[in-house]
Amino acid sequence: MEGYGAFLIFFLIALTIAFVMAVLNDILGEKRRDPMEDYPYECGVPLYDKEARGNFKQGYYMFGLLLILFDIEVAFLFPWAVVFKDIGLYGLIEAVLFIFILFLGFIYALRKRALKWQS
Amino acid sequence: MIIDVIIALGKIAVVLLVGLGLGAYLTWVERKVAGHIQARMGPSVVGPFGLFQPIADGVKLLTKESIIPRGADVPVYYLALILALVPSLLIFSVIPFGPSFTIFGKEIKPIISDVNIGLLIVFAMGSIAVYGTIFAGWASNSKYAFIGSLRKAAVIVSYEVVLGFAVLGVILIAGSLSTVEIVNSQIEKGIWYIVYQPVAFILYLFCMLAESGRVPFDIQEAEAELVTGYNVEYGGMRFGLFPLAEWYLNVVGLSAIAVVLFFGGWSGPNIFGPLSPYIWFLVKTFALVFFTLWLHWTLPRFQAKDITDIAWKILLPIALLNVVVTAFVVYLFS
Repeated sequence: MEGYGAFLIFFLIALTIAFVMAVLNDILGEKRRDPMEDYPYECGVPLYDKEARGNFKQGYYMFGLLLILFDIEVAFLFPWAVVFKDIGLYGLIEAVLFIFILFLGFIYALRKRALKWQS
Repeated sequence: MIIDVIIALGKIAVVLLVGLGLGAYLTWVERKVAGHIQARMGPSVVGPFGLFQPIADGVKLLTKESIIPRGADVPVYYLALILALVPSLLIFSVIPFGPSFTIFGKEIKPIISDVNIGLLIVFAMGSIAVYGTIFAGWASNSKYAFIGSLRKAAVIVSYEVVLGFAVLGVILIAGSLSTVEIVNSQIEKGIWYIVYQPVAFILYLFCMLAESGRVPFDIQEAEAELVTGYNVEYGGMRFGLFPLAEWYLNVVGLSAIAVVLFFGGWSGPNIFGPLSPYIWFLVKTFALVFFTLWLHWTLPRFQAKDITDIAWKILLPIALLNVVVTAFVVYLFS
């Protein structure tokens, strides 16, 4: 109960709280409907597109790719950091090599202008 | 068994009361701080010193009409709220508020789930919180919300990487991912890890501001151009949930994690009697929260491309270097 069990209970309670808070307005709020009240916000002018979800800048995809490269690197390094004092020099060299190779990936992304996403 | 469940429920109740109560009252604190920084009074009408303002706001938000924009994706619209609030609450499950104590022969740890992957849970929750933002922007069917959510996703994605590398240094020194273990190792060594890892702390501070959407990294909210960005189409209590989760719970949670990692958790001279550790922990946490609020109402904001440039081109190389140097030093001195 000190560990994952308590976490699960907390998760269920948090889920309930979030759900209740999300639907409270449907219960407590005003019920009368106005014809234009659900019009999406666009500074008071008519909508340009009925569907706001459209294409977006490809730079955002680049960030997704870079995240996969580096976030997984971090995830790999977490266990390494925990046992680092036990594995000694071998672990040190391995990790430095690993970080170095991924740093090359970073340089590559930089030279390919992957981070120049707004120009 | 049943007594364990009751203890767990009791701890959850305390954490929720403290967390949500503080979350609500931080709105008052923030407005007071903002008011005094801008040479005005802040809330002062409802109750003494405006102390009942959060309650008045809450009642107002609860009685608002439920409006969902036309063309919105309704299930995802609701799901976004849950995905925003639940992870920021769950961060509190791995925060140790004090040392374990014994009551009626039963050892009680003031932490909801003392697991040995505590920090990993914090990062997992930080990653899930991104989906709340993206879903909110995508489901709302509004250009403003859409652009805001994309920007925020880009910012969070960039800073999450730096955040991971920043805390690696502390994990290397402490040799554990468990939050309790990290605090204990600082108490054993008699030193706060900010002394060993000042660079990591500054990186962490940047990431904390970015992850919680605080100035100078609040480009996704940019009131003047995006009118608060991804939550523009949410009304009533739903509108209240996003700032509650993001601006208050996340800031308090990440500040508490920063205290655990860098400021020795609950350690401190015993000057408040038996409650001393808890008071020290809260004092340290709220010093950091106040610092965040202070920055928020003092600084201008960066452009979106500057924010991501700072993360990738400046902070990430520094963080990588910090990890490598720390690893060498730990190897040489252990």
